[in-house]
Amino acid sequence: MSQGEECPGRLRDLPLLEITGVHTTSMDRRDFIKASAAAGATATLAGCGNPENQLIRLIPEEPLAPGIATLKPSICSLCAAGCGLQVRVMDGEAEVVRNGEPGILQMALAKKLEGNPKHPISQGKLCVRGQAAIQATYHPDRIRQPLRRTGARGSGPFQQISWDEALSDVVARLDGLASANNQRALGFLTRPLRGQRQVLVSLFLQRFGAPPATAFELFGEDVLREANRQSFGYAQLPTFDLARSRYVLSFGADFLGTWNSPVAHSLAYGEMRQGRPGIRAKFVQVEPRMSQTGANADEWVPVRPGTEGVLALGLAHVILKDRLRNHSAAGRAGELIDGWSTGLQGFIPAEVEKRTGIAAARIERLAHEFAEHGPAVAMIGGAPLAHTNGIFQALAVNALNALVSNVGQAGGIFFTPRPGMGATEATGARPLRDVAAEILSAASSPIQVLFLNDTNPVFGTPPAWRAEEALRKIPYIVSFGSFLDETSILADLILPDHSFLESWVDDVPEAGTQMSVASVAPPVMRPLHQTRSTPDVLIEISQRLQRPLSLQWKTYEEMLEAAFGALPEKSNPWEKIQEQGGWWSESPMHQAQTTRVSPRNSTRSIDAQFEGRPEDYPFHFLPYASQAFLDGSLAHLPWLQELPDVITTAMWSSWVEINPTTARNLGIVQGDVLEIKSSQGTLQAPALLSPGIAPDVVAMPVGQGHQTFTRYASGRGSNPVSILAGLAEPETGALAWAATRVRVAKLEKSDPPNPLILFSTVLGDEAKHR
Amino acid sequence: MRGRGGTRSKWKLGILAAIALSVFVSFRYQDSLKGQPATPTPTNNVFSPAHSSLPQAISHFFGHQPEPRQPIAFVHKVHVNEVQMECVDCHFTVARGPIASIPDIRTCWSCHATTLTEHPEIRKMKDYYDKGQDIPWQRVWGWVEESHVRFNHAPHIREGIDCKNCHGDVSEMTVATRVVDHTMEFCVSCHRERNAPDDCVTCHY
Repeated sequence: MSQGEECPGRLRDLPLLEITGVHTTSMDRRDFIKASAAAGATATLAGCGNPENQLIRLIPEEPLAPGIATLKPSICSLCAAGCGLQVRVMDGEAEVVRNGEPGILQMALAKKLEGNPKHPISQGKLCVRGQAAIQATYHPDRIRQPLRRTGARGSGPFQQISWDEALSDVVARLDGLASANNQRALGFLTRPLRGQRQVLVSLFLQRFGAPPATAFELFGEDVLREANRQSFGYAQLPTFDLARSRYVLSFGADFLGTWNSPVAHSLAYGEMRQGRPGIRAKFVQVEPRMSQTGANADEWVPVRPGTEGVLALGLAHVILKDRLRNHSAAGRAGELIDGWSTGLQGFIPAEVEKRTGIAAARIERLAHEFAEHGPAVAMIGGAPLAHTNGIFQALAVNALNALVSNVGQAGGIFFTPRPGMGATEATGARPLRDVAAEILSAASSPIQVLFLNDTNPVFGTPPAWRAEEALRKIPYIVSFGSFLDETSILADLILPDHSFLESWVDDVPEAGTQMSVASVAPPVMRPLHQTRSTPDVLIEISQRLQRPLSLQWKTYEEMLEAAFGALPEKSNPWEKIQEQGGWWSESPMHQAQTTRVSPRNSTRSIDAQFEGRPEDYPFHFLPYASQAFLDGSLAHLPWLQELPDVITTAMWSSWVEINPTTARNLGIVQGDVLEIKSSQGTLQAPALLSPGIAPDVVAMPVGQGHQTFTRYASGRGSNPVSILAGLAEPETGALAWAATRVRVAKLEKSDPPNPLILFSTVLGDEAKHR
Repeated sequence: MRGRGGTRSKWKLGILAAIALSVFVSFRYQDSLKGQPATPTPTNNVFSPAHSSLPQAISHFFGHQPEPRQPIAFVHKVHVNEVQMECVDCHFTVARGPIASIPDIRTCWSCHATTLTEHPEIRKMKDYYDKGQDIPWQRVWGWVEESHVRFNHAPHIREGIDCKNCHGDVSEMTVATRVVDHTMEFCVSCHRERNAPDDCVTCHY
């Protein structure tokens, strides 16, 4: 067939199909066939010539030197670690829409992400998720321009509108609140923010007269922050000087995989194990399910869930009893523990054995090792904090650390010094659970307009919190997210943000280094789509209000320049800071303690509560942060969907890890589909027999099971959060996501089929066929 | 061992069929090109294993590249001889990087916004410019991806190799045409003549 006139249609004449980018599991087989047929038709039309040649070439918007790569700094935004990036940027051709016309644009494109060698956190390295972060920018289901909801809430249909129209809408709503003197009805629900974004959002809300933003993250760290504030006076995550440690005792912290600052930890861990000739530190991991980190340990201590704190105090008891340390060494951290000064008489090894399931002799040995092989450090993270006694557990481990005097000492615990830069600890911010409960109990929602920033509580909260129901009661929701997910599909208006590669980014890392760090980087590439950077949108909204808010900056860039100009070392000009990807102190610094001291909470229980009676629900249910998707917010990235689990090699769906002996007793073999039932709900997933899990625990990775989250994540696997109980840690309101008990039953057949796919067996099959 | 002879004869048949098909199709393909407007043909700029048609796949397989037909009859001759422009005035990055770069419309426009504005070819350019479009120049030189050849202009320019050596005398051309056959022998013989490296990995990597 020739090109040109004979072609029945051109690709550019076809209606744009990606108007909403909605991908949900509601697509049944018939719909799928219809969609395939439509795709077939498109393919026939495109068959008249390469689709890319049917597109016009647009005039480039920037000068380019083709074939020459440049390296630009940026900051990874996928998790809270805040790794500095080095982005390889080179010319390329992108399919874009400009002035309503699709075309090919030659432009500078980010091609590859690596760690920024100068950055104190990442030091030139990057984790697997960071490597895949580039796909967020080029994702085919990205929201490309403002959308307005046209159908029933949550059903999907959206209409593309212009930025001007969209912003007028928002401004009119906010003016409406202001004229009714009801500014407190503006809500802001966000993923935890740091750096100047946090400053801007709190200023915006404060000047408008709205309550502080509510931050939500499934695996949030509020419990540990609160415990560290009480024990040490720092409301932040700890930094471990692993490189100089000689003994590491980790309570559930998957610090090499998903917790805190994994890249910085991995670098230091390498030093600790192999960097010092003749010295190889010992590493003991305490957790009921062996994580990727646990698999690296010299010793695995499968403790009973919720009793990690008891074990820590058991160790402390032995250390005190055998006079390896004096109780006063622990200072304030020790005083917070009942019975500390009298030697923790309630935690004699025999008693601790009964509670934790760890043999008394082993407790004695571990205690001696911990106290005698200094510098030693204990850490706690992940599931042990996600119990109703999370604060107690963290305080117990803090006291153990303080007892061996490792706080601020080589090989011990540090707190990353943070440059001030106007950031304030959010006071008065209420946890999502309380906000949802308030909305549900009121006749009409106290929040009339909600700004939703890149967080997905519908996916990440237990059914008992009724987050979706609460959100549906809010009359007007504006989302800034780049993708449609279970929460943003409820929005009335979507104002898509740039990807982090297209916008000014900044971050103040909470942990991972002993230096003071404030990262910042300009955009590495021009925006592909008609998106706008959310901070700039907030500034614009603030100016367009009837009573403009007095924010002193015209753009976010101006704000960043002002903030970084105020940093102590004047010798670092703004240009140099941008060029290297941030400002950092020359050498480790000391962080001043936050002064707030709260009265001791004497009613704190040391026992964890669980939802479900052991007779009805014999197993502990342990969801865990997936190596690929963390809390599920990365499930839209196809490279991560392809990534087999590091330990089990399972992939492409969900699975339930169960101990082989338990499985044998229940007549379960690998691959059998199991029904996991809690008091809150039921889910199905295939069984994966794993010797690295305690007999009374079943575990499941979080991340799959999305209903709506791009073509790659929707309708794949199941979401363990959907059967979690609504229990929370009482002092912080944080979800106790490890506090649910379940029962397990084997299903004779499952519809639809729910196979277990292991990368190792895929390889085995290949070998057989060869 | 069983069936080996059969396999061999199948191969022969297959090759014969492929040759017959390719001859047939390439004739059809040449026919189809005649008398057509200058629509762009595939340039493989965007990575895609797909071809728009079977003839294209076959001609791609045999490394056959159709003579490019440019959207505007650009006259190299006038620009070089009469306006006295240097190659690098438009092909900016030839001395800096691997790709000489085809100038985008802004480069042309920097002179032609005011020069020869009534010339029919310049009007075509103005049409593109007014619509916010770049000129869809077609690629003249280049290898198919399967040959895994990489070429970097910059070291050749540094060495003082005349552009003519590989591109012919462009100062006598209107639009550039492939007057030199860039075979491996062409590259290697020149490299040997000048004592340049001739390891495989110099170009194939």
